[in-house]
Amino acid sequence: MSAEPAIQAAQLTGRHKADENAPIRIAVKDLNFYYGNFHGLKSVNLNFHDRQVTALIGPSGCGKSTLLRTFNRIYSLYPEQRAEGEIMLDGRNILDPKIDLNELRSKIGMVFQKPTPFPMSIYDNVAFGLRLYERLSKADLDIRVEESLRKAALWDEAKDKLKQSGMGLSGGQQQRLCIARTVAQRPEVILFDEPTSALDPISTGRIEELIEQLRSEFTIVIVTHNMQQAARISQFTAFMYLGELVEFGPTTRIFMNPEKRQTQDYITGRFG
Amino acid sequence: MASATHPTVPPQRAAAPTTGSRVRSGRRIADKVLIVASTIATGIGIVVLGSILLMLIVEGVKGFSPLLFTEPTPGPGSEGGGIANAILGSLVLTLIGIVIATPIGVLAGTYLAEYGRNSKLADIIRFLNDILLSAPSILIGLFVYTLMVKPMGSYSGWAGGVALAIIATPVIVRTTEDMLRLVPSTLREAGAALGAPPSIVIKAITWRAASAGIVTGIILALARIAGETAPLLFTALNNNSWFSANLMGGIPNLPVMIYQFALSPYPNWQQLAWAGALLITVTILALSIVARFVIKSDRAR
Repeated sequence: MSAEPAIQAAQLTGRHKADENAPIRIAVKDLNFYYGNFHGLKSVNLNFHDRQVTALIGPSGCGKSTLLRTFNRIYSLYPEQRAEGEIMLDGRNILDPKIDLNELRSKIGMVFQKPTPFPMSIYDNVAFGLRLYERLSKADLDIRVEESLRKAALWDEAKDKLKQSGMGLSGGQQQRLCIARTVAQRPEVILFDEPTSALDPISTGRIEELIEQLRSEFTIVIVTHNMQQAARISQFTAFMYLGELVEFGPTTRIFMNPEKRQTQDYITGRFG
Repeated sequence: MASATHPTVPPQRAAAPTTGSRVRSGRRIADKVLIVASTIATGIGIVVLGSILLMLIVEGVKGFSPLLFTEPTPGPGSEGGGIANAILGSLVLTLIGIVIATPIGVLAGTYLAEYGRNSKLADIIRFLNDILLSAPSILIGLFVYTLMVKPMGSYSGWAGGVALAIIATPVIVRTTEDMLRLVPSTLREAGAALGAPPSIVIKAITWRAASAGIVTGIILALARIAGETAPLLFTALNNNSWFSANLMGGIPNLPVMIYQFALSPYPNWQQLAWAGALLITVTILALSIVARFVIKSDRAR
């Protein structure tokens, strides 16, 4: 394969304008992460702006997924993994051991690389998170499920088979089901961990459009291997390498005019 | 025989590069020998198993009659009779066994796969479970004899059921753990990421995802204990008439009935033993087919 061309200026206009004055939703201060003895993240400092899409890019193993997985502390399912430092959300440090993890996770949604529909009906998949923390009547639940499926652009395809298993949907539909399930909880932040790397180009396009629409309501952080995707859908981009944050800024500047040599090399396809 | 003509290649010549073609022909012969040997071994297995099954069907069918399911086992020297009491007894014992074993087995398997994982305690339990899995079943009969039959002063269906439960539990523990481990960890993460505590993730997601496998394990455990004889010898024993509802005293059951009747001098008893053996075999076969069907329908989903 030849080196990927640098991102064209045409891809970076219009909707990609970063709002640098947007309030800061997540502030990461001096974050270090360890997998047992392996130092996965090294003193990362980074701010995520409200209602903006921030893309985390970098070669495999650079720590971008690790960083994403600290925001809802999903890593704490694995006892050998630990984070040190500060991640401020709504004035609280979410790394504080006293934080109620389940409450935190209901505020920070996550969509995974592989679609993860639960082995239950489409309706129950979407209602799963709602039933955990809200006491809703059947009618209200119906409304929220429909609203969420609409937001995930799945309503038209799923409305006639809400009682059928979510496992029966196509890969792209399953991923939108997972987005609907996440959106249903009305989180503040949605984390996407390479959400399209298992999907075909058409499904990928739909998910990207969806992310663009969701930005009006949610703060979005997306990990992606695909630099064109980062350029297409994000307002801010952070480039990471070997567990360190190399460069962060508005997507247009990172792609058009990177300050660091490593960033320049990566986005022009010289390594990674 | 192919093995007789197989030329042995001296190791030093096999290593020399100049003898490449000879090495290759040697390998071809070795390959043929292995194919022939494994085919013969498979053939022996099929012939032995097939003749057992054939004899069982021929002899068993001879003894089959509707009376089998209505009449209790006959006394010594009396004519006719059936095995209805033994069938009912076996059903009761197996049911008690599986009802006790299922919750313990599923919960223990869940502990190993979801909570204990690689902890020391989980490793120890896994090791002990493997020992229990291969423990001689007569030992389990003796164990329950000392634990229940002696203190209670009588053989009973309860003791028999507990002995069968001890046989079934490790099977269920093992399959439950294996099946839960097959559930991708991303599914657990997805549940946790929605704010679901581990108990809900397990109940609503992982158990459900592994349900076909777990049910299969329970059915296979059922098939396993349906034909167990040794653990019942010291616990439920046997008896030649109907049993009381409190399940105290000897409880008639198929395996021990077969064991006793097959060794008896009475032709009608021997005939009933064959019929009982066929019945158990057909039941186990049916359970295995159901288990396969459960797994298959899950894959199709």
